[in-house]
Amino acid sequence: MLLQCLNISYRYPQGDALVFRDLNCRLADPGFHGLFGPSGVGKSTLARIMAGEISGFTGEIKRRDRAGILYSCNTERLPGWSSVGDHLTKVTPAANLPLLRELITAFDLGSCVDSRFSQLSLGQKNRANLTRYLLQDFDLLIMDESLANVDEATRKQIIVTIKQIFPDRYFLYISHSVAEVATFCARILVLRDIHKSPQLIEVAGRDHHGDAVPDRPALERAMLEIVHAA
Amino acid sequence: MNGALPRLVFLLGLLVLVSLLGGCRQRGGEPAAELNYRLKWLYNINTAGDLYAQEHGFFTSRGLKVTVKPGGPERDAIRELELGRAQFGVASADQVIRALAKGAPIVVIAQLFQQNPLQWIYRSAGACYASPRQLRGKTVGITFGGNDETIMRALLAKYRIAPDEVNLFSVRYDYTPFYRGEVDLWPIYRNAEGIVIAEKMAKAGEQTGFFVPDLFAVRFVANSLITTRSMLEENPGVVRSFRDALLSAWQEAMAPANAARTIALVHAYDQGTPAEIIAKQLDATRQLMLPENGRLGRIDVAAWQQTEKIMLEQGVIDSPVAVEKALLPDGL
Amino acid sequence: MLHKRLSQFLIIYFLGLGLLLAVKYCFGLSDYVIPGFTDMQNTAQAVAAGYLRAVLDTLGVAVIGHVLAIALATVVAIVGRPDNLLGTMIKTAAYNLQAYPIVAVAPIIFILLGDGLPSRLLIAAIICYFPLLLSFIGILGEPVAGIEHFYVVTGRMRWQLEVKIRAFENIHKLITVVTGSATLAMVGTIVAEFIGADSGIGYSLRIALYQSDIAKVLVALFLIGVFNSLYLVALELLGLAVRKRMGVEQRTQQ
Repeated sequence: MLLQCLNISYRYPQGDALVFRDLNCRLADPGFHGLFGPSGVGKSTLARIMAGEISGFTGEIKRRDRAGILYSCNTERLPGWSSVGDHLTKVTPAANLPLLRELITAFDLGSCVDSRFSQLSLGQKNRANLTRYLLQDFDLLIMDESLANVDEATRKQIIVTIKQIFPDRYFLYISHSVAEVATFCARILVLRDIHKSPQLIEVAGRDHHGDAVPDRPALERAMLEIVHAA
Repeated sequence: MNGALPRLVFLLGLLVLVSLLGGCRQRGGEPAAELNYRLKWLYNINTAGDLYAQEHGFFTSRGLKVTVKPGGPERDAIRELELGRAQFGVASADQVIRALAKGAPIVVIAQLFQQNPLQWIYRSAGACYASPRQLRGKTVGITFGGNDETIMRALLAKYRIAPDEVNLFSVRYDYTPFYRGEVDLWPIYRNAEGIVIAEKMAKAGEQTGFFVPDLFAVRFVANSLITTRSMLEENPGVVRSFRDALLSAWQEAMAPANAARTIALVHAYDQGTPAEIIAKQLDATRQLMLPENGRLGRIDVAAWQQTEKIMLEQGVIDSPVAVEKALLPDGL
Repeated sequence: MLHKRLSQFLIIYFLGLGLLLAVKYCFGLSDYVIPGFTDMQNTAQAVAAGYLRAVLDTLGVAVIGHVLAIALATVVAIVGRPDNLLGTMIKTAAYNLQAYPIVAVAPIIFILLGDGLPSRLLIAAIICYFPLLLSFIGILGEPVAGIEHFYVVTGRMRWQLEVKIRAFENIHKLITVVTGSATLAMVGTIVAEFIGADSGIGYSLRIALYQSDIAKVLVALFLIGVFNSLYLVALELLGLAVRKRMGVEQRTQQ
């Protein structure tokens, strides 16, 4: 098991109300998992607590020894003083340079490498940002709406590619698309309003790898389960 | 819309003009219900008579309502007279002559200092300046652009001392170069900071003397009482009353019998200067305003003419101004 | 840019001059209070060469003082950038020290350093230093979370990179502040010369005021305005070149 949250309670530094009360969850097996929930329920906050970027909560986070957990989100930007290609090369460990070339092709970034980040479309920006995180040494990568503004076909291609290239890593994909998380995620952590108990429910997804046509009725059942849980 | 902007600019311009000219409405020549009297400098011993006149009713007893206003580095009584913000003022002779050269309609109604207080202090030990020729090889402080530069250059020219025979040192408010002995002679107002510096030097065991240009026939007039020509022509009675009031007040303020009152009065307005220093300043002022056989307020026409000549020779003014025409005869 | 700056200055200058002349002729004031056109023309011819040298001297000192102030403000802002005790102390000191009027501090500087170039430089630098410092501290102390996050979580963040990111992201503000403070450097030098130095246009202004010669003051103000405008234009062009080099223009076009 990579990570386990035990009885996590948290309130924002400037707020009185609790965001989480005795929340429990875990990421037991590698794979592409999802974190789903209505807007404002605290998905990003929980993700950042898992990544160790937020402190001040009560409860316990158990991480596997030396676990590398990275949190990425769609509001991040690359510096503007060099091209996207230069930046990606600079932040890629030497051993991963072949992987960089592979990802540039898979994520359809070939036409962007000579451009500055500010010149890219929103979808290209998110892909470029995700690419540099995938090139780092990590065990768990939290993708907080990292594919927002990317068209559906490319999103699917990217998720499938990630699952193919990184079968032994953990991913926690935050998305508002029920269909997407139900289709591609193995386990879906459904975060609910604080007044509901338990606050987080784990639902099984279809963990689709893009190699066959998804089982439609099973997918619909999974989607229904997620929606009911939320 | 096209016509609105120019109209707005015009109105704004008019507004600025009117507000700027707020103080110009009361012209100098018109009879003033209240008279403003702008001094040359801040309240100190040089304003003793002015304060005395105000505090002891010399103006009111003559039916004058006068507001005495302190001067300062940014104040120029001549400009205020022309702008109608003051009816009387104190200005130095060089200011008066410069203003006359530029067409300012002013007249001198009394000369306050009979000897210029602007002198040079020096360490008297081992130094003797019986003649300006002894300045050769010395370092002499001057304020470039100031009166002291004009006076010193006139003195050097009169005694045929080439400028390169004297080391002229640019001075400011900081006396350190003089204290350190880097400068031999330092320009000061004899009756004001001259007393303070001499006291300090005496406490440090050093005796001082004063180099007095007047003694070497360079008579450069200092502070005088002025008004506008229109004020004089239209209200001669007011001008006469004002002058008489002020000179009477100065006479009483300088009288040794009234020394304690004068010292107390000046100290009340100039609390930064100790009373014992003011007492010494008063003695020095008395000698400058009332020299032997002198008469307070006497306009020394010859000295004014020499002052003009010096300024003309040094290129401070371009052409003669016939300063004697701006000096009011004693009889008013 | 040059044309715009100069024409702005000339419009303001000649409007002011026109206003003065209007006052003069409306109220029949003498040349002593407000100089006439001929008087100004004659004065300009007489002093232009000397004043030009003086204003160039002042500009030289102002530029060096400005560069010194920028360098110092950059160093102090970098040191005071972290939100810790040292950073807080530096910020507090900067806010408090800037409250001291330079006219009160300048005499002490002249006593310590004399009335030569060092005093003029120091006073020019001090006058434009504090506004620069406060802006630099504000800019370099404010995280750019969207860019810095990646470097922080991947352990790549160094102070040099942090400064580079924050400076790059706020390059417009930095250039505006630097350009704005150029006028302060010029003013600072003139104030220093006015108070205690024995060269430069501030010194010439002091002599002109001693001599109650407003025509000279107006000539000096004209030259100061022209050369200050030229300096501002030079800085703006420099800023444009820096932005171009750093690729900021592409972003703004986007």
